[in-house]
Amino acid sequence: MELTSSVLDLNWSEVETKIRSFIKDYVKKSGAKGIVLGLSGGIDSSTTAALSALAIDGNKVFGLLLPEQETYNAQDIEHAKLVAEKFGLKTQMIDITPTLKTFYNTIPIFETADKLCKGNIKARTRMIYIYYYANKLNLLVCGSSNKSEAMTGYFTKWGDFAADISPIMDLFKTQVRKLAQHIGLPKEIATKPASPKLWPGQLAEEELGIKYETLDLILYGLEHFMKSEEIAKQLGLKKELVDKMKHRWLYTEHKRRMLLTTKIEYRTVGKDFRLPSTFY
Amino acid sequence: MREKFKVALAQISCKRGDKTENIRKIEDNVVRAKKQGAELVIFPELSVTGYVLRDQIYELAETIPGQATNILEKLAVKTGTYIVFGLPELSDKTQATIYNAAVLVGPDGLIGKYRKMYLPTHSVFEEKRYFRPGYQTAVFETELGKIGLIICYDVFFPEVSRLTRLKGAQLIVCISASPATRRAFFETLTVARAIENTAFLAYVNLVGIEDGLQFWGGSRLIGPNGRVLVKTKYDKEDLVIGEVNYADIRPIETFVPMLKDLRPELFDKLKENAEKL
Repeated sequence: MELTSSVLDLNWSEVETKIRSFIKDYVKKSGAKGIVLGLSGGIDSSTTAALSALAIDGNKVFGLLLPEQETYNAQDIEHAKLVAEKFGLKTQMIDITPTLKTFYNTIPIFETADKLCKGNIKARTRMIYIYYYANKLNLLVCGSSNKSEAMTGYFTKWGDFAADISPIMDLFKTQVRKLAQHIGLPKEIATKPASPKLWPGQLAEEELGIKYETLDLILYGLEHFMKSEEIAKQLGLKKELVDKMKHRWLYTEHKRRMLLTTKIEYRTVGKDFRLPSTFY
Repeated sequence: MREKFKVALAQISCKRGDKTENIRKIEDNVVRAKKQGAELVIFPELSVTGYVLRDQIYELAETIPGQATNILEKLAVKTGTYIVFGLPELSDKTQATIYNAAVLVGPDGLIGKYRKMYLPTHSVFEEKRYFRPGYQTAVFETELGKIGLIICYDVFFPEVSRLTRLKGAQLIVCISASPATRRAFFETLTVARAIENTAFLAYVNLVGIEDGLQFWGGSRLIGPNGRVLVKTKYDKEDLVIGEVNYADIRPIETFVPMLKDLRPELFDKLKENAEKL
């Protein structure tokens, strides 16, 4: 297998149709009234929101803008509103700063310097807001995680990854960018640098230490059972870098799985209690 | 025996675990197909229950004959049609041994069944976990000629269709639950199986979405020269009628004579080498 960017090329019309069908079918079968999702103004949530609107109509899609003081960026809000307007979404903006401050002030062991732990509170707080809307308005929570983040574990456990469905999770980040352009997302959104916005100035590629164009090809190779040596050779990379990404992938499986327990009884949740995800 | 007849490709989606609803849909399609002159109506793999069942299969499997077969047998008798459908078959000698089965019923009742021989257990498929494989090909003598049954992944293994053809089937019915990522394989292999056996091949696939798997439909009736005679829509429920005319086999078999040119001694070599793979 030759690892070039062409391996990530897909028929974007077919991909769009598949994702739209998936969303429409799941919403219909579940009996939910629509979808709620966090709208950050980034490419992943914008693409997911747009696809949801194309699938079930924008007036059934609720986009929640959940900014907070430290990472507030007026351009992101503008982008989120742009998507909402273009695809006819319903939106609501809630400043989550006071909630976050309450957490910071009431956790006895809280350390403001520990930006990762602090940042994860932000992702999990957003999850709580989103799920409140889901419960209250009978909506499904639609996740916006992509395959690059899912495979590397680059997300907050029980935070941004928490959702009822995750329609773009089988697409790498660079593929999401192409799909975004295909469905007519504004170019400034489709091309801006990715950031989870857990702390000011955080940039995904900087933190991961790799460009998505390279990361996605490494992950594609791993997905297709290629060995690190072969991937490194083909991409002209040091094997250590490929191994580092492979390590991220293997050691974050706990974030993607049902809770681990020890086998005691006849059938065990998450192990051999094998049921369809849905029964409709 | 009838030389010429109409066959309906009844491409349906299933409500998983809801046999009543699925049987109602089968009945509805049989009645509609019959009105359009079809004498054989074919439904997808596991059409009585849906495909992604996992552990629920132990609740849903039933014997053949059994409740679902009895209902559909009566439908065949009442409408005077032949019907092929799929269901998880519980062995009548055990309590939890299940086959992935295709059933043929006709105007005189139950004709027979086929148990899937090749059970995909890779990627998203986990059939060997739940099913015991079948050991026999199945060809049934009917008023519509000799009809052979195969199921989905069997079509990847030319020996299943070959044996079915060598037992005399001129129409091979392949019922399927193939997700969209496999479409190119099936579009190629169904045609190949028809050509290499100079037989008609009716392929009927599931549609709908089950646990994120999107079944692509695209059911088709293929002639003995590999030509797709009729085809259903992709991804949507559909009912399409095509015509089987066994007289079309003769000119193909004469000048594209794969059956005449078969070399049985190679089959021994195949066996020998397959064991050493």
